[in-house]
Amino acid sequence: MPSGALTMLILRVLQSGTLHGYAIGQRIHVLSSEVLAVDEGLLYPTLQKMLLKGWVTAEWGISETNRKVRFYRLTPEGRKQLKEEMSGYDRVTQAIQDILRTA
Amino acid sequence: MGELLRRIRYLLNRRRYDAELESDMEFHREMAARAGQNNFGNELRMREQSREAWGWMWLDRLWQDIRYGTRILARAPGFTLVAVLVLAIGIGVNVSAFSLFNMIALKPMPVRDPDTLVRLERRSPHAYTSEMPYPSLLFYQDHAKTLSAVMGVLGIPPMQIDDDLQPTSVSFVTPNYFTELGTTAAIGRLMNTERDGKPGAPPVAVLSYGLWQRRFEGDASIVGRTIRLDKKPATVIGVTAYKFASLGGQHPDIWLPMAQQPNFVEGSHVLTSMDSSARMWGRLAPGVTAKMAEQELATLTNELRKQYPKDIWDNEYIQSSPGGHAQVMQPEMYSVAAMIGVLTLLILIVSCANLGALLLARAVTREREIGIRMAIGANRARVFRQLCTESLMLAVLGSTAGMTLGWLVVRETLRRMGDVPKWFTATPDWRILLFTTGMTGFAALFFGLAPALQIARQKQRKTIARQILVGAQVAASCVLLIVAGLLVRASLHALYTDPGFGYEQLLTIDAGLGRHGYSAPEAKAYLEQMQSRLRSVPGVRSVSLVKLPPLGHAVSREDREIDGRKVLMYPNWVAPDFFKTMSIPMVLGRSFYPGEKHAVIVSESLARRQWPGQNPVGKPVGQLVAGDEQKDIVVGVAGDARINALSDDDAVEQYWPMQQEDMPDMSIIVRTAGASDSLPPVAKAISESLDGKLFPEIRQVKMLYHENIEAVEQVALVVSLVGLTAVLLAGVGIIGLVAFTVSQRTKEIAIRLALGARPAAVLATVLRQFSWPVALGLVTGTGFAAAGSKVLRKALFGVSNLDPAGYAGALCVLSLIVIVAALLPARRALRLDLAKILHYE
Repeated sequence: MPSGALTMLILRVLQSGTLHGYAIGQRIHVLSSEVLAVDEGLLYPTLQKMLLKGWVTAEWGISETNRKVRFYRLTPEGRKQLKEEMSGYDRVTQAIQDILRTA
Repeated sequence: MGELLRRIRYLLNRRRYDAELESDMEFHREMAARAGQNNFGNELRMREQSREAWGWMWLDRLWQDIRYGTRILARAPGFTLVAVLVLAIGIGVNVSAFSLFNMIALKPMPVRDPDTLVRLERRSPHAYTSEMPYPSLLFYQDHAKTLSAVMGVLGIPPMQIDDDLQPTSVSFVTPNYFTELGTTAAIGRLMNTERDGKPGAPPVAVLSYGLWQRRFEGDASIVGRTIRLDKKPATVIGVTAYKFASLGGQHPDIWLPMAQQPNFVEGSHVLTSMDSSARMWGRLAPGVTAKMAEQELATLTNELRKQYPKDIWDNEYIQSSPGGHAQVMQPEMYSVAAMIGVLTLLILIVSCANLGALLLARAVTREREIGIRMAIGANRARVFRQLCTESLMLAVLGSTAGMTLGWLVVRETLRRMGDVPKWFTATPDWRILLFTTGMTGFAALFFGLAPALQIARQKQRKTIARQILVGAQVAASCVLLIVAGLLVRASLHALYTDPGFGYEQLLTIDAGLGRHGYSAPEAKAYLEQMQSRLRSVPGVRSVSLVKLPPLGHAVSREDREIDGRKVLMYPNWVAPDFFKTMSIPMVLGRSFYPGEKHAVIVSESLARRQWPGQNPVGKPVGQLVAGDEQKDIVVGVAGDARINALSDDDAVEQYWPMQQEDMPDMSIIVRTAGASDSLPPVAKAISESLDGKLFPEIRQVKMLYHENIEAVEQVALVVSLVGLTAVLLAGVGIIGLVAFTVSQRTKEIAIRLALGARPAAVLATVLRQFSWPVALGLVTGTGFAAAGSKVLRKALFGVSNLDPAGYAGALCVLSLIVIVAALLPARRALRLDLAKILHYE
């Protein structure tokens, strides 16, 4: 997948609620009709960067398999970032489509 | 901002964060395994990548490098010790010099608001004086709005406490002196304007801490006691603190209020006359800059000229200099300081070049280790960084040792120099720490960069680095040796040169007749009686009079140009038997007749310059002074006698016969047959019997002369030591480099020798790479020394700064050391067992 897109997708997926790391990857995989597969080696570094930037926070919870695990939650800064990234992505996609159509 | 805080929080809680990450990833794998996916990546690599996001990886790497570096240094203790020692010397010398400079010129004195203190002096385009008439000072004090306070200090010759033999130094100060400086008393109280500034206030005295301990044994009952100064009473009101900082680097032992001056120096008109005598200091008002104050003072000076038109110069203005440091810095002092700074920096360069060479040699032995690391996968940048860290560690060790060395040196210097203000301390302040850090960085860069670059590039075969190091060492040592050589020659010259007058058995007696309000006829009477009484004392050979006594407080100098060459003319006004008393030979012509006018006697050098190849006797000299009918005629030529400028080669003298109006300013000089030590009490008794008001200052010229010389001797000694150290360092460094070069090419040498080459030829091949760096080093070193030594001229007694003997000597010594250093290791190589070398693989 395009390199910057993962951050945006994670933010979007977390918009509706908190999820643990594995669930985030699964949700993206499922919602994209299995087109996009998130590599573990990319997911966690990205999550760490988002923690550093303050777009998400992590809190302990119990998973569906009765195990303690951290759940990630979107912060207000994260919501703002999501909006920015989505509008940016729209603009770029629109521009690319214009070129492909007409050039 | 928030991001930075989060980063720091991560740093402080690393273990917890890492554990959380690990748990996340473990869970992820469990779930993935359940779903049947088994594409596990490299877990450790992924964890490392995640951690990188927080941006603290450089810290980890640094810590790793430091641990590794420590191991490497510990494994070669000999090398580490030598390296640290070499660095310690280089950095320590710089720290010592900077510490002393810091205390003298940079560190503010421990007084109130030192940055607003200024020293105010009269200046004009043609004249320069450090003192100011007291009435002018009062005028400025009353009218200057840019100065919140004005202080005056008046120094006088030492006074006698009670019945002491040795006099004590005294200063008169305005009553606001201590309150402005904000100091507190050790016991009792200090002067203040309310109690001691009123007219008719009783005479009070403040003692220095040192005097209190020495003379009064720290007795607390001194407060309130009355002591007699030159037989006049004063009540001691207090003692200054141990660490008291007085203005302008002068430390009298007693302070008296300015208003009392006419009582203690009877007949004195200093407070009301327009003769310059007091030193003026001021404090800038809040928000005022020195420039603004100078402007207001210039306007006030013009006002003052209307009141005293004859005493204020045309175009006079008041110049302010920062007064909050131990020494008021004059521009010439800065150039001397800069020169010393350059010399110490050169020593550091020698040290660093030395160390760089050592490191280069070591680099070869580490070839294998670096090769392995690069093969496993370390990239070049990483290796380079690690080597730089090692160099930095060495530099930090060296600089710590250097700072300790510097501290010790400064402490010893302060202890040996007698007259040091007590607030000077060897303990480093932030300026010194900053300076040391800078030096450390500079040193690390200098010696660490080249080897690190070489190692990281795995290119040891090129010899250019070695050559540069040798060249740098030779050049720096060259400059240091030449400077040391010049200074040593100058001090030898000063010690063994005849200053032109007999100082060994000479005494000067200055009764300060003018200061005590004597008129010219009164002064003449006193002087004539003193002279005749002294002549009848057994052991006295000859007595005479002079206005500016040898090595005295007052010096007058006129800068002139004769045929384009600068000449410093020292004038004097003398009695006819002056030359006989001073043992100055008359080369041509005669001395003055008593009461002669329009006659002048010139010194040999002046005669040579003004009338080369001619007989100057009978020739006229100088300008026609208004009101005189004729110019002065030369009646005689005297031998050169540098009575007030021992160190100056350009000095010439010109003498006029003393006239009636000069009498109150004349001093008596006495030549004794044997040692002059027994005469002072006799002379004092005679003066007292003539007039008890006077307290003449009696000084033995031989002591003044030795004091003068001592300072130069000490400086020369220190510089020689330093120069020698630098040369030894350079010698050791060159030995090391040559040994290293030889060891690199042992096999080649062995083969050549086995094939029958002559040892000299083989040596020449090996050492040829060093010939041009050494030659270049010698040439640049000499050039730098020649250019820079101009600053030294003042210290070089009678020796030109391009003195060929000094330069030749230094170059010979250095060349000798270089040759020995090169040959020693080389010779060893030639003696090695050829067969063993050729078999060794």
